[in-house]
Amino acid sequence: MRLNFWTVVSILAWLILIVLLVIPLGSVLLSSMQDAAGNFSLANYERFFTTPRFRTAFVNTLIVGFGGLVGSLVLGSIMAFCMARLEIKGGRFVSLLAILALVSPPFIGAYSWIVLFGSNGLVRQTLMSWGFFMPPIFGMWGVLIVFSFKFYPYVYLLASGALGNINRSLEEAAESLGMTPFKRVMKISFPLVLPALSAGGLLALIHSIADFGTPRLIGRGFSVLATEAYTLYSAEIGSNLGMATTISIMLILLSMLFVFGQRYMSRKNVYHGNLINKPVKKKLTGVWNVVAHVAVYFIALAGAMPAIIAAIYSIRRTNGPVFQPGLGLDSYRRILYNLADVVQNSLVFSAATVFLTVTIGTIIGCLVARRTNVNTSSLDATLMVPYVMPGIVVGIAFVAAFNSPPFAITGTALIIILSIFIRRLPYSVRSSASALRQVSPSMEEAAISLGYSPLQAFMKVTVPLIVPGIIAGGMLSFVTAINELSSSLVLYVGSTATMPVRIYIAINDGDYGTAAALSTVLLLISGAAIYCAFRLMGRDERALL
Amino acid sequence: MAYLEVENATKVYGGAARALDGVSLSVGRDEFFTLLGPSGCGKTTLLRSIAGFIELSDGNIKLDGRRLDTVPAHKRDIGMVFQDYAVFPHLTVSENVAFGLKARKVPAADIQRRVAEALATARLTDFRDRLPAAMSGGQQQRIGLARAMVIRPKLLLMDEPLSNLDAKLRVDLRDEIRDIQKKIGIAAIYVTHDQEEALAISDRICVMSTGRIQQIGTPQDIYSSPQTLFAASFVGTMNVLQRGTDPALEASILQDAPASLSQWAIRPEHIRLGEGDLPADTIRVPGTVEKYTYLGREAHIAAKTSVGKLVVQVADPEPSLTMEQGHPVTLAFRRGHVMGFDQQGARVSLGAR
Repeated sequence: MRLNFWTVVSILAWLILIVLLVIPLGSVLLSSMQDAAGNFSLANYERFFTTPRFRTAFVNTLIVGFGGLVGSLVLGSIMAFCMARLEIKGGRFVSLLAILALVSPPFIGAYSWIVLFGSNGLVRQTLMSWGFFMPPIFGMWGVLIVFSFKFYPYVYLLASGALGNINRSLEEAAESLGMTPFKRVMKISFPLVLPALSAGGLLALIHSIADFGTPRLIGRGFSVLATEAYTLYSAEIGSNLGMATTISIMLILLSMLFVFGQRYMSRKNVYHGNLINKPVKKKLTGVWNVVAHVAVYFIALAGAMPAIIAAIYSIRRTNGPVFQPGLGLDSYRRILYNLADVVQNSLVFSAATVFLTVTIGTIIGCLVARRTNVNTSSLDATLMVPYVMPGIVVGIAFVAAFNSPPFAITGTALIIILSIFIRRLPYSVRSSASALRQVSPSMEEAAISLGYSPLQAFMKVTVPLIVPGIIAGGMLSFVTAINELSSSLVLYVGSTATMPVRIYIAINDGDYGTAAALSTVLLLISGAAIYCAFRLMGRDERALL
Repeated sequence: MAYLEVENATKVYGGAARALDGVSLSVGRDEFFTLLGPSGCGKTTLLRSIAGFIELSDGNIKLDGRRLDTVPAHKRDIGMVFQDYAVFPHLTVSENVAFGLKARKVPAADIQRRVAEALATARLTDFRDRLPAAMSGGQQQRIGLARAMVIRPKLLLMDEPLSNLDAKLRVDLRDEIRDIQKKIGIAAIYVTHDQEEALAISDRICVMSTGRIQQIGTPQDIYSSPQTLFAASFVGTMNVLQRGTDPALEASILQDAPASLSQWAIRPEHIRLGEGDLPADTIRVPGTVEKYTYLGREAHIAAKTSVGKLVVQVADPEPSLTMEQGHPVTLAFRRGHVMGFDQQGARVSLGAR
């Protein structure tokens, strides 16, 4: 009976993956390998590599990927070192700012940078009036700066955790063996945090490649694969699905390449720290203390700046799309009267997505954690694929797969929900599997030996122990779901627009007040969900990654 | 009259590896029975198949005359204590203890009375409303013990319950476990890899190695007349020597031992420094000191001799006694204390004494 249940779960899990992953990916691959008449052809790939426009986008994607990686590594490492090893006043506030940077709604971030550093940017104009010339933020360097400040929390959160877990004796041993402080850092500390650094760097890299809002708004002619794919797909005249899918395949291949590269790099670097001798935080004095504080607060505030600017601009008085002097709630009023359905869409879609990911993810997580065999291991490995698929690719893949019967669901709410569901499923499976692995199997055996059937033992002992973690994971999935832009931008129709989509439209229309107010609402909802999650499982910023 | 009977228990994990290889034993109604052996010897596999968490490949287990293989684990009515305590962290101490009674639909008033009793026996009354997370390992294991006993199981299984505790607590708690078991008169099977613990706590010990029984007997039997070289070396310490390094001297030690004898052994406490009057069958072996280790209530002298390296245990050594390396000594032991083993490690009689 029990065996049957797990067999059914396993079959259902594979079915979900086939319908929501294999078929869409297959459709993308198929479409990329067809010419206009539907015959097999590699013309699209040939065109990809011979057309200067695509070659440039390809190179630019590599540039933003590695640029975002390097920038995040630099900022994130500085933050991690200062926060983990030095006494920084207001540390909790700083990590709050890092969370803000992590969850600040997409697109509004780029807009906020323009508000300050664009051609008519507040900061730029002020500096110019003082006689300092400053180029506007647009172009490649602008994109790289925005990515660095947007994605540094991935590196910071992972590396600070690793730095805080290095046994102090290791560094002391190196010191007693006569290593200079510099050598000690390079030979002992650095190798020990390398796995965390490379994992954080990978996240920054993958997000930099996948992000399309920032290059679109700040790039100003600096195009990357994600923006090209969207442009090709959404062009009113001459929409070119075949070329869009070809670019999607290239994006997936790039992401996969980097994931495997990182895995290969850190294949041997598994260190189990023991926490007997935790590092102490050093208190700096004098100039260095000031330098450390300035660095930490500069990075943290710059990262959280988009969210803060959005909150401020949301309460500026507006007349239509034009800002007026003074404060007012006009933008919120406009949301209430005109965009209530958009807010409702976002809440309903996200809640539905979270319900699906949590229930299905938990069951699959149990399967993966409790029945380890070839089948469940390959299930777990396959689940890595949606983890690295850029949102824009998922959107295009779903359109390619579900435009015609038997699965004609384009234009419905369901397709948006499913597209977020498949991307979020890996997190849910991983987190419930790891929650389950924390519960010792002897716990259930104890209940069985005391007279409870295996099912009763699971319900009475294991479930109460993993439920807080699962609800917390669900809350964090909710944050991701409600902030999702790129796949829904491809999949939405008028009646299924969500808040991020609406923000994108508002910014394109120049209606910044509405965009700022919607962003602030999004931030507040995300903040509430994160607060609940942290209350349930303890404050752990790394759960957000 | 056997209460628990294990017949020819065999467990094969995919391929040829046998975790259990034809194990048969029986345990009495109120006996404290210990499975002793190194990790991987099959002791935990045997315990878990009695509990019902592992299905045997062959053989059967009977409890009180009833075959267990058709009874699922939760209906076997066997209490179990775990190495990692397996205390439920979301329940208070008394809720943990009451957990098994609730499954049995015991009336609320009875539950209260029996939990109070069990908590008193395990000296946990003051902690009844605490959550176990903040409690020490020793206290958590007491919860585990109280929780397993309160259901009045037919059999109590303990899987290395003390191995995660520190040395001092281990000794205290093992005495408590022993006292409680005798007080309520329950059959208990105890798994450990700690030979001293096994000797201290058991009515009978079963020494296991590579899935097979090496010897079953009282602690005295096991220690004083081990039937295999494995049992001899695993329980206590033992000097094991190869035959054939000094045939002349060995002839006087082993005398008319059969040719099958290939190794001989003697415990360190049976060797002394050869001064003063000694019984008639004493054998003297000259040697030189290799190492002297002072341990307070005893000292160990490792000596090099013509038959091999011998460790001597000296009880209550004089603090002034020291021995330099190379110092000549004479070791003395009685022939009656020497044990012989054949190539396969089975005991060989040394002939008439």
